[in-house]
Amino acid sequence: MHAARAKVIWSVIAWTIVLAVVFPLIWMIVTSVKPQSELFSIPPTLAPETITFEHYVRLLTETPFLQYFRNSMILAVTTTLVVVTLGTLGAYSLVRFKYRGRETLATLVLFTYLMPSVVLIIPLYLMMVKLGLANTLTSLVIAYTTFALPYALWLLRSFMSGIPEDLESAALVDGAGRMGAFFDVILPQALPGVVSTALFTFILCWNEYLFALVLVNSDSVRPLTAGTMNMLITAFNIDWSLLMAASVMMSLPLIVIFTFLQGTLTKGFGAGAVKG
Amino acid sequence: MHSVPPSLEKRYAMIGAVLIAPTVLVFCAVILYPLISAIYLSLFSIYTPTLAGEWVGVDNYGALLASGDFWNAVLNTLIWTVGTLTLQLVCGVAVALLLNQSIVFQSLARSLILFPYFLSTVVAVLVWRWLFNDLYGILNHVLLIAGLIDAPVNWLGQMPNAMISVILVGAWKYFPFVVIAVLARLQSIPEQLYEAATIDGAGPFQRFTDITLPQLRDVLVVVVLLRAIWDFKEFDLIYLMTGGGPVKATQTLSLLVYEEAFRLNRMGMASTYAVAMMLVLLGFTLLYLRQTNRLEEG
Amino acid sequence: MAKVVFEKVRKTFGSTIAVDDLDLTIDEGEFVSVLGPSGCGKTTTLRMLAGLEEPTGGTIRIGDCVVNGVPPAKRDIAMVFQSYALYPHMTVGKNIAYPLKKRGVREPERSERVQATARLLELETLLDRKPRQLSGGQQQRVALGRAMVREPEVFLLDEPLSNLDARLRAHMRAELIELHRRIGRTMIYVTHDQLEAMTMSTRIAVMNAGVLQQFATPADIFHRPANVFVAGFIGSPAMSLVDAELTDPGSDGGGDGEGRFRVRCGALDVALAPGLLRESAAPAPVSLGIRPEDILLGSGDHSAAVGVVERTGHESIVRLDADGTPLIARAPGDTPIEAGETVRFSLRAERLHLFDGVTGQRLNAENR
Repeated sequence: MHAARAKVIWSVIAWTIVLAVVFPLIWMIVTSVKPQSELFSIPPTLAPETITFEHYVRLLTETPFLQYFRNSMILAVTTTLVVVTLGTLGAYSLVRFKYRGRETLATLVLFTYLMPSVVLIIPLYLMMVKLGLANTLTSLVIAYTTFALPYALWLLRSFMSGIPEDLESAALVDGAGRMGAFFDVILPQALPGVVSTALFTFILCWNEYLFALVLVNSDSVRPLTAGTMNMLITAFNIDWSLLMAASVMMSLPLIVIFTFLQGTLTKGFGAGAVKG
Repeated sequence: MHSVPPSLEKRYAMIGAVLIAPTVLVFCAVILYPLISAIYLSLFSIYTPTLAGEWVGVDNYGALLASGDFWNAVLNTLIWTVGTLTLQLVCGVAVALLLNQSIVFQSLARSLILFPYFLSTVVAVLVWRWLFNDLYGILNHVLLIAGLIDAPVNWLGQMPNAMISVILVGAWKYFPFVVIAVLARLQSIPEQLYEAATIDGAGPFQRFTDITLPQLRDVLVVVVLLRAIWDFKEFDLIYLMTGGGPVKATQTLSLLVYEEAFRLNRMGMASTYAVAMMLVLLGFTLLYLRQTNRLEEG
Repeated sequence: MAKVVFEKVRKTFGSTIAVDDLDLTIDEGEFVSVLGPSGCGKTTTLRMLAGLEEPTGGTIRIGDCVVNGVPPAKRDIAMVFQSYALYPHMTVGKNIAYPLKKRGVREPERSERVQATARLLELETLLDRKPRQLSGGQQQRVALGRAMVREPEVFLLDEPLSNLDARLRAHMRAELIELHRRIGRTMIYVTHDQLEAMTMSTRIAVMNAGVLQQFATPADIFHRPANVFVAGFIGSPAMSLVDAELTDPGSDGGGDGEGRFRVRCGALDVALAPGLLRESAAPAPVSLGIRPEDILLGSGDHSAAVGVVERTGHESIVRLDADGTPLIARAPGDTPIEAGETVRFSLRAERLHLFDGVTGQRLNAENR
């Protein structure tokens, strides 16, 4: 049948490309379980001849990796909570309320895209020093909030504007106040969007590098991104096995989120992606 | 109950204002403060570690225009932005079209293609640097076997390889954004349009140019503008891959600002570069605004 | 006792006037329809009464209280929305219970009242379902239940039947009439469907372009429309409205010596029954209105060419062309009249409607 044959052809082409795109990640995992001896063989072997977890063990026991991991976790979770709370309330305000300057504010959200992080970093660095917060996790939470919040608002706005206005009107007539309507009706309806946004914010914070690099300079506070790069440049020789193991572990939350919530993430991303 | 209470609309407006207040606070920190700071700082010469500075007025701007480094960075930024954006666009649209077809494990394919975008830049850079490794990297190995090269290539330490490598990795990392946006749009094109065209005698290529492309045009314009802004700003990827090297060959404006501020310890000059960057981005953003407004009206 | 009073109520959106100087007094226990075409201001009026929009000017009273500025929650009203607006994440039972919960009604009274309302609307078996699992008619009843459970002073209904298919709509019309009879509360019903308004209301408020055209009983609206708009809007098939000339009794060329007004439109020249027009009537351009059932086909002083004949089974709708004057008439279902024929007809002189050619206002005398 013509359609079935087309499906086969398209599938082959599509999956070849998908696998090519994903190959670097596969290679990352493969490298991380190869013993050192095999690593430096020329030509390099595609499939590992022996599988070892020694690099992971070394990573967790001989480096500050776990500390970095813990810092990243605290950082990402805290920032996500702050951003989602502020963002949900703010998005609700932008979508359902009328007040002077509302449109300007919405446009201002867009203007935050103007700010290259290198530009933000200088005043933020100065501010943290003045507040006595230099080199603390708090400074990172504040810093991350400043760039994560615009994204969150952008996503949440498009989710909330999709909720029918009648629902809120019905709640108001039924006896709720504005905030009552928000908690009873809007929030439950927006929940998938809120979850999407939370995941997106988490990933954004988890992956952030520059702010961590500049605002923090001790291992006790360093998150994963800066920490791993630190391991790279302070080492005498570049230990690729270790770095690949670290990369795999750094990507774990992403893989977990993806496996369980890929639907939610892409839906949210697609919906909010191009709307202004 | 014969008194006239304050207007309902006014009360609601106050609640709305309260809800957005924390966000406004944050925005003042993000937009107003850095903007004013950057402009203010650019008029000084500041030594970063001690934050001691002295007024130099517009001298910094003069130095900027005369500086070879500045124009070099501008050129590099342009090459990088145009290069990676074009690749992102072409690959993004192509893959989106592909994933819009009926294929096995379609949703899995669509999820997997997103991985590069959501991956940490640090991880992406580490993996690619390993791939690009001249001795042990698998890329050289595969190309050697395929007979495309005679000797291992130095991907990151040589020009023009370094810029090309950076552009390639940038495209790999960011093209899924284009895929998702375009795919979402493709899926909203009613099947009936294609059916009507087929009845009217249009072949597959014609259907693509007459139906698909016009529908995609709006999305693509927005995507191009957004990605242009983000690619222009990019710091992490280039910094981590090449550090700006070899010898400033891949130093973009973002990297220049960083270098001035934290390596040369000239915070004032860095701010000057930052202001220049922001002006360019302002242009892009205004374009974007005008385009989305036009879309909303049209 | 007046239940709902609109006093000089105005609503503008920017430069658009949605509702213009509305004066309306609705009595306790009435079923009032606010009827008009899309964009006439009827939904805006309802929403102002609910507190979802704020009037730009004027006062609204519910009972004795001025409700301007009072939030919807405190107005003792309930509303059924066109889209039903059922809370998708709550079960039917929780939907109906929600207003009670918001007013602080505790268990077990809350469940009892929900049960009683569910019983009344035959929803008991559906209480644990979610709205998306229900049919359109069932959803509509849940929306009604949610409004009724609170026993408010005033019910507001915003085109609640417009999303139902024709058969269900007819059924629900009867249900709503019965409901009103049973609970006896004031109901204000917005619709663009004149059939609903005519069958269900004690009085109808006809609106057009933000202005109240007429507020009267269905019978009055039908038999004595206040202006050209109401005349043309009510009645299906619509009243034939033609431009005509009102001639002076006794003046040259018009009078017939009996002192009666005549109205002339093309070939049509009709003597009006004495006393049909009010005292102040004078010769002028007018609009002449004739309802299809007031054109008697078969014999008479006038003749016309027959255009399309639509046979619906129990009657036929005949389109006529009386020398350039288009008319629509009703005939029995088995009428032998065919398209293309010429037919004679007469008009029921006492059933003619005349409207001022400029203002559109009714020229007939009171009760005529």
